[in-house]
Amino acid sequence: MKIGAIALNTFKEAIRDRILYLLFFFAAVCIIFSRILALLTVGDRVKIIKDVGLASLSLFGALMAILMGVGLVFKEIDKRTIHTLLVKPIHRYQFLLGKYFGLVLTLLVMLLGMSIIFLAVIFAHTFKLEWQLLVAILFIFFELCLVTSVALLFSCFSTPILSSLFSLSFYLIGHFSWGLETLIKKVKPGLGKTLAQLLYHFVPDLENFNFKMEVVQKLPIPPKIFLFSTLYGIFYTVFVLTLALLVFRKRDFI
Amino acid sequence: MAVRKKSGHGKDFSPIFLAFFLILSCGVFMALKVETDGIIRKKIPGSSIIYIPSGKYLKFATFGYSSLLADIIYVWAIQYYSDYNIPERFEYLDHIFSIISELDLHYLDPYDTGALIAAYEAQDLDLALKLLDKGLEKNPDQWFFPYTGGHYAQMIKKDQKLAQEYYKKAMEVKGAPDILRRLYADSLYKAMDYQSALQAWLEIYQTTTDERVKKIASNHLYRAKATIDIQNIKEAIEKFKQRFGRNPMDLSQLVKAGFLGSLPKDLDGKEYVYVPQTGEVEAPTIWWKR
Repeated sequence: MKIGAIALNTFKEAIRDRILYLLFFFAAVCIIFSRILALLTVGDRVKIIKDVGLASLSLFGALMAILMGVGLVFKEIDKRTIHTLLVKPIHRYQFLLGKYFGLVLTLLVMLLGMSIIFLAVIFAHTFKLEWQLLVAILFIFFELCLVTSVALLFSCFSTPILSSLFSLSFYLIGHFSWGLETLIKKVKPGLGKTLAQLLYHFVPDLENFNFKMEVVQKLPIPPKIFLFSTLYGIFYTVFVLTLALLVFRKRDFI
Repeated sequence: MAVRKKSGHGKDFSPIFLAFFLILSCGVFMALKVETDGIIRKKIPGSSIIYIPSGKYLKFATFGYSSLLADIIYVWAIQYYSDYNIPERFEYLDHIFSIISELDLHYLDPYDTGALIAAYEAQDLDLALKLLDKGLEKNPDQWFFPYTGGHYAQMIKKDQKLAQEYYKKAMEVKGAPDILRRLYADSLYKAMDYQSALQAWLEIYQTTTDERVKKIASNHLYRAKATIDIQNIKEAIEKFKQRFGRNPMDLSQLVKAGFLGSLPKDLDGKEYVYVPQTGEVEAPTIWWKR
């Protein structure tokens, strides 16, 4: 209940944030702009619209998660409102999870809003609702949940600027971690290879949530991957949130 | 659930429990990573690259980092073209290497590597030559591009005329190595332009100071002269045969009959070897064994 109350409060606070609407506006512009971009191509125009649209949802969603997530705890500490909160019968984990779920709820609403615009643009071209696009959008949401937890973790001990940089790095590493696999193949067996393999399995693999190409190209997706990717997202998020909790419980606010 | 009292606000998670939970979740997501890696997802590698606009326009979007982007695309391209599991990988070869060259006009390796991939892997020699031509156009001080073009034209396309043109372009570049003059002269010979080949080898012979090159040029001169002489002798034999209905008994009969002004000798002053039964004429020495 306490978590729910904090989450609702965080949601109410977040939807008043101007930066959210600014990013929403840019995402909407990008989705609509994809129509103009499609005019410049030769061949399948709808593919371009889908690609640009899904990329906008993913990128602007990640920006929302990072830019808002990094201020979640920091603002409370900076404005000293955390003192009034923690003297109440609230546990730190409840506070942290409440903040997290509040932002996740905000992102869900924003993603739904952007998805409606996106699907409407697609509908204007194809005159049919392409529900399979929702699969890609759902996994974008899972990715945003993980990115939010990372932003929250950094927010517990760092300034918003540094936290933004760290979270953005996490996002980039997550999408380029497959490069390590190539490196592992080229490294001779030994300690270096073992360490590289360990690192490869530890660093986030956000490509597990990337079904954009398969959905747009209508490629078959093995059903098993949905389950494992979802579980991967849940456990990685739990890991990051636990780490955030460990950091947060050590903080001394007085 | 492992809990403990804290700050008088009821129960909270203990650090040991949190640490255990942290390790557990880490282990689970790493195991899940192994599982997801094991699931083969259908991909269209490089499908996104075709949407990258021409390098000319992309350059403006790189905020001054066009060289860096060229490096990144080049490194990616090498990995992409090394993957034999993508049979259709050569479809956008031209587009990809054009992007790299337009992003960084003076980045020499991509022209060369792109041409190599086009020539040997994609079997598209025209594209290879196009890339090399572009390389020379943007970097006129690089003899290596026309040299490679000449090599491909000679070895793959077997087009000696084209090879000649490339070698000529290469030897005209300032600082080009001496071997290009020899390659040019050799391509003239292979294109059966024996007179020009003779002139080119003679020029090399007269201008070089390197004894080894002088020897090489001398051997090629011998071959070119012998080929021209044998050609003339064979023409004279044919005329003799048409008039007398038989091969001459020896080559001096050709002079006596007026088909040859004088009996030619090889570069070493030796007479050519003639076989009256077959009408065949050969040089007395194997040119490269002199």
